[in-house]
Amino acid sequence: MDISSLVAQNYAASRTATAPEAGSAGNALGAAAESFMATLQTSENTAMQSMTGGADPHSLVEALAQTELAVQTAVTVRDRVVEAYQEILRMPV
Amino acid sequence: MTDFNDAMSVATSGMKAQASRLRHVSENIANADTPGYRRKVISFEEVVNLGRPTGAVTAGPLRLDQSELKRVYDPAHPLADDTGYFDGSNVNLLIEIADAREAQRSYEANLKMFDQVRQMSSALLDLLRR
Repeated sequence: MDISSLVAQNYAASRTATAPEAGSAGNALGAAAESFMATLQTSENTAMQSMTGGADPHSLVEALAQTELAVQTAVTVRDRVVEAYQEILRMPV
Repeated sequence: MTDFNDAMSVATSGMKAQASRLRHVSENIANADTPGYRRKVISFEEVVNLGRPTGAVTAGPLRLDQSELKRVYDPAHPLADDTGYFDGSNVNLLIEIADAREAQRSYEANLKMFDQVRQMSSALLDLLRR
């Protein structure tokens, strides 16, 4: 039984919730989100391949490091956005 | 972030190439006593994608060292001819050790570059995090 395709299917199914809308193709934020998802997917595929003996450890480390970088970026940007939003909410009206 | 990612891929390609070189060195050392064995050598090549050099490196095609095989004198050996000599391998252990050490140093250099890129990218994001 092919585990990797099953996991990839699940991944693709849950991906729609986080994927940007179809109309936002020219959107910079949408493009960033798409590249983030692509990095994540590559890393997961590489991790699965290296567990099943298909990929070498170099590729695994590279993919994981790139994902770490992408996740750090996303988390930092999100924190800043949330902080800015809370700042606005705290504004006395 | 593309520069960071590219630097990581290039460093990884260097590590892969050195790992493959070390593999051939270990094959040579393992076969140092094999009669008629010719040592394997590989050359490094820059990766070209769609006609443009990417900066990454890859291990090139395998070649066999065509230098003369060592003549070993051992009349009791099954492969020995009338004169008591047979063709040994042309592996020189000193050369192989030097090659392995060079591969190790080069691997370490690539690993350091990889770590450097990681540290630089984290430091950049730490600015935003305060």
